Amino acid sequence: MKIKVLAVILCIGLVGCTTVSPGGYYWGKYSYTYHDLLKNPGETTRAAHEATLKDIITKSKEKDLRTPPGIHAELGNLLSDADKNDEAVAQYQAERDLYPESAIFLQRLLVKPKTGAEE
Amino acid sequence: MKLISTIALVFLISACAEVETKGQAFPKMYSETDKPVSIVVVPAINNSTAADAANLVNSTLTIPFADNGYYVLPVSIVSDIFRREGLIEGSQITGIPLSMFKTSFGADSVLYITINKWDTNYIVLAANVTVGMSYVLRSTTDSAVLWSYDQEIVVDTSGDSTGFLLADIIKTAVTTAMTDYIPIARQVNATAVATMPYGKYHPLNNTDAGAKVVLKKSKEKALAPAG
Repeated sequence: MKIKVLAVILCIGLVGCTTVSPGGYYWGKYSYTYHDLLKNPGETTRAAHEATLKDIITKSKEKDLRTPPGIHAELGNLLSDADKNDEAVAQYQAERDLYPESAIFLQRLLVKPKTGAEE
Repeated sequence: MKLISTIALVFLISACAEVETKGQAFPKMYSETDKPVSIVVVPAINNSTAADAANLVNSTLTIPFADNGYYVLPVSIVSDIFRREGLIEGSQITGIPLSMFKTSFGADSVLYITINKWDTNYIVLAANVTVGMSYVLRSTTDSAVLWSYDQEIVVDTSGDSTGFLLADIIKTAVTTAMTDYIPIARQVNATAVATMPYGKYHPLNNTDAGAKVVLKKSKEKALAPAG
């Protein structure tokens, strides 16, 4: 317990705590804000998750890390839901540049940019 | 003497648990033609009594599989697509032919997850969660099983003792009510992923075929029909 507290203090004190995962990615609060969004879907949880995605992209750039799989695409999808189509396309492009195997999937998202408009 | 006990120990381990190398256990993960790069995760099938278990698992899955070197298609977008098609539960999606995930998502493999147990136990001075999960990764080219794992693990959630009985009882009750289950879900996923060969984006890709893993019949269990 003491060690844990010490480690946390040390971590905050030293680098503001940008933890890098074993795979070499920075994930921020990803699991937490996505879990909140799944549990209580709404404007607040959506905005919090969007903030997490943006934080991951910014910090990854700062730390010279590859943005984790799916993050640009997920942000693009949220932007597309908010009718910010140009910004959405830019995010999809960023995802495809980093991960070419996402191309077919992203094409599918581009074909149907108006999500949920059918109902 | 030491040698004999070592031999005896090795014999004992091999008798009760299946120790294989990753290459022996999952040969297709080392074949140039069969090894997947991308994974579609089907929303977890929750057979446990905990309502939030599926959300906990779905929100913590991407990280370990991506960290292991795979391209995980964004779970949130994929599940939105399923939802729009009227497929909400993972069990409704298991019937979809695997080749569909290749043609419409461009994915090499599909990961199916079943939560068999998520039981919170509170025993006055201690608290823990027993989690049973199975993972099966299948190829979208020929439906073959590429990797699988089945586990039941107990995670302690009671924290450290304060040294005072009454304080401990109160502390256990409080921590059980406020337990942060995300690190627990992460720990469960990490244990499973540790047996999985590294993928394209991991620096040790294609170098871990000789790594030993203890599978304890978990492969067979993962493939057994649920029920």
